[in-house]
Amino acid sequence: MLELRDVQTYYGNIQALKGISLKVNQGEVVTLIGSNGAGKTTTLRTIQGLNRPRYGTILFEGKALETLPTDTIVRLGISQSPEGRLVFPRMTVRENLEMGAFSRSDKEGIAQDMERALNLFPRLRERLAQKAGTLSGGEQQMLAIGRALMARPRLLLLDEPSMGLAPMLVEQIFQTVIEINEQGTTVLLVEQNARMALAVADRGYVLQTGRIVLEDTGPNLLRSETVRKAYLGEH
Amino acid sequence: MSPAVRTGISAGLLAVVVVLLFGNLSGVVLGLLAGAGAAILLDSRVEWPNRNAAIVGGATAGAVAGLLILVGQFIHDLFLMPLAGQPVATAPGSTLQAGLIAVVLAALAGAAVGAIVTQAERPRQLGLLGLLVAFVILFPFLDQQIQLGWTPTVISVLIYVVLALGLNIVVGYAGLLDLGYAAFFAIGAYTTGLLLSPQIGINWDHPLSFWLVIWIAAAVAGLFGLILGAPTLPLRGDYLAIVTLGFGEIVPIVFRNLTRVEIKEPFTGTCLIGCDKAINLTGGEAGINPISHPWLPLVGQFRTGQDLPWYFLIVAIIALTIFLISRLRNSRLGRAWTAMREDELAASSMGIDIVRTKLLAFAMGATFSGFGGAFFASYISAIFPGVFDFSVSVIILCMVILGGLGNITGVILGGLIIMMSDRLFLPQLATLVKNILNTSVLPTIADPAMKDFVATSVDPSQFRLLLFGLTLVIMMLVRPEGLIPNVRRRAEFHEAEAGAEATVATEAKAPAK
Ligand SMILES: Nc1ncnc2c1ncn2[C@@H]1O[C@H](COP(=O)(O)OP(=O)(O)OP(=O)(O)O)[C@@H](O)[C@H]1O
Ligand SMILES: [Mg+2]
Repeated sequence: MLELRDVQTYYGNIQALKGISLKVNQGEVVTLIGSNGAGKTTTLRTIQGLNRPRYGTILFEGKALETLPTDTIVRLGISQSPEGRLVFPRMTVRENLEMGAFSRSDKEGIAQDMERALNLFPRLRERLAQKAGTLSGGEQQMLAIGRALMARPRLLLLDEPSMGLAPMLVEQIFQTVIEINEQGTTVLLVEQNARMALAVADRGYVLQTGRIVLEDTGPNLLRSETVRKAYLGEH
Repeated sequence: MSPAVRTGISAGLLAVVVVLLFGNLSGVVLGLLAGAGAAILLDSRVEWPNRNAAIVGGATAGAVAGLLILVGQFIHDLFLMPLAGQPVATAPGSTLQAGLIAVVLAALAGAAVGAIVTQAERPRQLGLLGLLVAFVILFPFLDQQIQLGWTPTVISVLIYVVLALGLNIVVGYAGLLDLGYAAFFAIGAYTTGLLLSPQIGINWDHPLSFWLVIWIAAAVAGLFGLILGAPTLPLRGDYLAIVTLGFGEIVPIVFRNLTRVEIKEPFTGTCLIGCDKAINLTGGEAGINPISHPWLPLVGQFRTGQDLPWYFLIVAIIALTIFLISRLRNSRLGRAWTAMREDELAASSMGIDIVRTKLLAFAMGATFSGFGGAFFASYISAIFPGVFDFSVSVIILCMVILGGLGNITGVILGGLIIMMSDRLFLPQLATLVKNILNTSVLPTIADPAMKDFVATSVDPSQFRLLLFGLTLVIMMLVRPEGLIPNVRRRAEFHEAEAGAEATVATEAKAPAK
């Protein structure tokens, strides 16, 4: 479904991605783990056209994305819940969800997806008229994911959905990720919480300073020596 | 004290300031405004049990405001006028008469508002709108009747209201601080000037139609919105403000200097345009004049000094502007502006094209100043570069901020308050103070040096900019969201409290990782 070939992205002269190649197949949950500054966020932003790769190709269902504008990429079916749960703080929960459907114009479909998002996150339904900035951290994360779903993506990019959340909420968020995947959305999940991410993922990539250093199925990576040492804090 | 009396006093005190300045029958206009204003204010504070209570309440509030105006009339006629050395223009009986008219009109206006505000949502809105439209239509005739002579000033004030509505798109909706907005006003005015005058050789006997040129002016201004907006795209906050400030300075300077235009072919140096004699495009410091006026069937040719057609034309331009802007605000583009102002990163990952959204904000904002500029050029019939300097940009920005960023009603109200003070009330105050000084104060001072000092230093019109500055500072401290804020903007200014609560909630739920 999605394929990155030797993607290299720069911030000015600093090379953040030093040739990333990865694949996400239809129906999978794929995770990208790595320590701070490894380039995970940059990878997602490059896929969505928010940063442009200097070299390399990005193919989505055979179509090259590198030069397409972001709104076209969103319309093709790739949406993102950005890092740091960037909700629109002064808009209500409902308005935030509606913004997620900005690239669409099918009123009925949007209403359906609003229902779907609210069924996934019942907490949001109780707070539709509340300003997003006054939601708790966990609720904001739910809103950010719900908002990304409003674009009716076929590929959902999640950037650290568990960041800063209590263990119970983390569990719940990952449950929802599985549920979203079971409803037919392919997921590319960026995480620092490697244990949880690898547990739900079909496959995973390990990113280190702009390069992919490991790639395997979720369970295999969980067992791998490198991952256990570097990312799970075991010795 | 009942709420009706209290709101009556607040509205009446505001009105009385004007009555003290103008006296005569100004109480008629102010009675209408203060009565309606008091009743609207009252309605926002009181829950009405039934319609009659609302009518009585509105009438009471209006009457109280009217009584204050009556007192103001007496002070003006019997105390200020003699002090200023002017004969008491009217007999005492007519002062009472003018005051009583004000009381009655204020009470009636209050009662009418009271009757309307208790209606269901839809008739309520239509009713208030109807009152407003009636007042706007009646105003110039009333003004003529009671010989106040405010209409020409009101027309120039309304030009600024159009500009403020346009700037509100850029600053209020899109959140881009533009300190050089007068540049687009100038571009609209000069486009009109060039096309409606003999300046570039357009036949004066068969001038272009104003009704065509006003659209061209808007389009040209909008185009320059794009052109000048483009280089500011990567900039934010302070840097954006500084660059727009630069453009605001550059544009009038360019107009000042386009007096000897020659275009040569770059390689061979052969002259293409302006060969025999360099073309004087903009008239430099002297500007462009005369600029022709609009013509309409039935109305005929608009003329300088005949203000009615001009008044209704600018009112129509404002109505159109309000209509277009409120459509725009609820459109996809309007939602994109809001999202972009809230969080650029999140907005872009929703598929909002930030570049396009910003450029369109500049272009749309500039377009409306093009309307204002076209009207201005034709109405004044002459334009000079000096008219479009930095203080114009600042005043327009003040209007937007005072009224309430992002709120159409607020911006109009803010604009009216600032410009009416600047163009009408302050000059009148200056005249009045000068007259009082000359007749009643200066003769009592013996020392000639002291006399000279007092005569030159007490002049309210010198404090014009100081007053603006003070108003802004006070507004920022007391009510940063403006008189009538946009609901979302209010949240922005008071989010410190809300934000604190949210953080506490987050931490309570997520103890430690
Ligand atoms: N806007 C920027 N300008 C310059 N350098 C940047 C920018 N954004 C990221 N970088 C650099 O690019 C590298 C990769 O950053 P990125 O945000 O992709 O890391 P990450 O894997 O998402 O890290 P984290 O887990 O901390 O979110 C880092 O070295 C970072 O400093
Ligand atoms: Mg990151």
